[in-house]
Amino acid sequence: MADVAVKLGVATQIRLVAQLRWRILRNNLRRKNSRLDLVGLIWAGIFSSALVIGLSFAFCWGTYTSVSNGHFGWLLLLFWSIFLFRQIVPIFIAGFGASFEFRTLLRFPLSLTAFYLVGLAYGFADFPAIASLCWLLAMAAGAGISSPNLLPAVFLILVLFVLMNTTLERLIGSWLERLLARRRTRELIFGFFILLSVSIQFIRPAITHYATGSSPATALRFLPYLSPFPPSLASRALAAAASGQDLSFLLSVAGLVAYIGVFGTLLWLRFAAQYRGEELGEAAAPARVAPRTAVGAEGARDTLRLLSPQVAAVVRKEFRYLSRNGFVLMSLLLPPLLVLLFTSQFGGKHPTVTHRGVSTELFFPGMMGYLILMLMTPAYNCFAYEGRGIQTYFTAPLRFRDVLLGKNLMHAGVLAFEIVPSIIMLALRIGLPSTPVFVATIAAVFFAVTGQFVIADWVSLSFPRKLEFGSMRGQRSSGVSMWIAFGVQILVTGICSLILFAGRWTNSPWLPAEAFIGLAAAAVAGYFAALDALSDVAEKKKEVLIETLCR
Amino acid sequence: MTDAAIVTEKLTRRFGGLLAVDSIDLQVAAGQFFGFLGPNGAGKSTTIKMLTGLLAPTSGRVQLLGLDFSSHAVEVKRQIGVVPEGMGLFERLTGSEYLNFVGRMYGLDRATTRQRCEELLEFMQLADRPKSVIADYSHGMQKKLALAAAVIHGPRILFLDEPFEGVDALAAGALKALLGRMTERGVTIFLTSHVLEIVERLCSHVAIIHKGRLVAQGSLEELRAGTAGEQGRQTTLEEIFLSIVGQDGSGRPQMEELSWLM
Repeated sequence: MADVAVKLGVATQIRLVAQLRWRILRNNLRRKNSRLDLVGLIWAGIFSSALVIGLSFAFCWGTYTSVSNGHFGWLLLLFWSIFLFRQIVPIFIAGFGASFEFRTLLRFPLSLTAFYLVGLAYGFADFPAIASLCWLLAMAAGAGISSPNLLPAVFLILVLFVLMNTTLERLIGSWLERLLARRRTRELIFGFFILLSVSIQFIRPAITHYATGSSPATALRFLPYLSPFPPSLASRALAAAASGQDLSFLLSVAGLVAYIGVFGTLLWLRFAAQYRGEELGEAAAPARVAPRTAVGAEGARDTLRLLSPQVAAVVRKEFRYLSRNGFVLMSLLLPPLLVLLFTSQFGGKHPTVTHRGVSTELFFPGMMGYLILMLMTPAYNCFAYEGRGIQTYFTAPLRFRDVLLGKNLMHAGVLAFEIVPSIIMLALRIGLPSTPVFVATIAAVFFAVTGQFVIADWVSLSFPRKLEFGSMRGQRSSGVSMWIAFGVQILVTGICSLILFAGRWTNSPWLPAEAFIGLAAAAVAGYFAALDALSDVAEKKKEVLIETLCR
Repeated sequence: MTDAAIVTEKLTRRFGGLLAVDSIDLQVAAGQFFGFLGPNGAGKSTTIKMLTGLLAPTSGRVQLLGLDFSSHAVEVKRQIGVVPEGMGLFERLTGSEYLNFVGRMYGLDRATTRQRCEELLEFMQLADRPKSVIADYSHGMQKKLALAAAVIHGPRILFLDEPFEGVDALAAGALKALLGRMTERGVTIFLTSHVLEIVERLCSHVAIIHKGRLVAQGSLEELRAGTAGEQGRQTTLEEIFLSIVGQDGSGRPQMEELSWLM
């Protein structure tokens, strides 16, 4: 063979990769079901642009003011906020957003240097990178307007700051990629992340409760401890340039260069390991041969014997899927935790947000509404985790109503499992509302859940989206189903609020309870009446369903 | 044919402007081991999906065991077993859980399901990984499990889409013996495979689909009789296949076009 592949330059390779990413995005948007996602993308683009442009003015003004008035402490705040944004947001994107597996490029004839540079170039192409670059340029403009002589020093600092940020972000990203490749680690990190996010919410109530008399000045005492870190170095370099302290400027710039060197070297080592063929996946270890066991006690008693075999089989399967899905399981911790948080923020004797606690007559229905809002959303994409198994439902001799019934029963079980402890917690921490409001709320829950199941089942059949088990990346339902879920929940919340307040306005405490009991009964009857129609919908939509979930 | 297990009449499927399956008339007798062949993209999987209820035909009719599929879907499905393209497994269940699930979906009682599940796992040599979820199985193990699920309810017709792909020689031998015994007991097996040697060894009757149209159908002897082979040697199925599919020149890739690779 004479004509072997020609060696390409790094710039050509970067351009080819950029074109590849663009084509992947374009082809995804061309798919029929992605048209509405495009609308979502455009909206997200508009909001993001507004955020970036708005904050650019703020950064420009902040830098101008601090350089003009000699308040260099503000610069510290600006650099730190950009730094934190640049490092934290990509972690969210890596965790939850769709991402291109850049390591797949390794099958092409790339040198390690090219691989490193392509990998680094990726760090300049995402939203946090572009946004932070805009803000840094805005800071440069602010400093330049205040003192044009500062511009060369400012640009040097900003270039070093961008390089440091990019190498560090890529370093963290590559380590995250390694950690997130394993399902168990992913689930642990995700659980830790969720608990951390929720725990942060408890800081304020805890401070209010235990540390009376604390002020922002206390927090400022910690600032000197941050001085060795890159954002403080950048801030100090800019302040030194503005005040003519050459030695301090040089030392700070040298510090930034040292950081770039360290992060760059560590990143090189990481990429070199990937380049050599580091195995990130979860290769199945040879299984130990297990001793055969006799039929267990589980087989002796059928706990679901009241259901038909098909519905019981679906409920069992759903339970097993739930128990093996670490993300979903951990997300079930959230609702009771949030109830606890809200009881300390809005209710009880010592609310931290409101001066007077919100009345239980309002707080109890509000919390129940919030729980339903959180817990019903997955029902709008209830086939998400079926994968190729969806075919079994269509080859088995059953009406699809059995599948929907089984799934909805399991979901209702999860709701009960979440709502009951939340009610107990509410009762213990702030007390229960009056009997009419309590009955009305419980009936409203029945109405809201059963009514939503009909719509959620239809949406699940009509706009399915496959989700990967044990994965955070790119895991979201279809845009249409999210919008419909949002709209329905607003509508249901509106109806429920109107009926609850009607009881107050008419001074008839039992009116809402009676109305909700009627609505709940109608919703249950409507649900069972709709199941056959939904079976027909499933038959009509089966091709889309199978194609989407088996992809 | 009075004892026909599978009959299709003018079975057609369009995907937008693409005519994937064009007026197919198939007849498969009960107890036949039937091979359904065709090059890539010929319409094999589309046909098998229409025969098993995974895809609605654009027009035409499917009759299985004398019952019209569209009007008796549940009764028909009760009597057929399917290994669909991609196997259709719930990958986060263990093998045993999946077989129990399928058995119950086909209406078997718990005790029967449990017993058959154990026997099938044993037969398929899958019993020693009770805690592993299907996602952790190798491709061949998944295939064996999909086959086990397709037969757990004792179907009268078995549809197998590439059943031996990725299955080791030992298990494939046992499976072939099992399938052979099933046909002896009157079960009809409808099989697609790209490995023509397997089809030739197992199937008594064959149909060939090309560009959505049925281009040949009959017993192997009938097809051999219609194809001229070398003198003194029996024509192989591969030769029959190539002579039928390659007739218009589109079936066989043109090597001259890749001269730079030679």
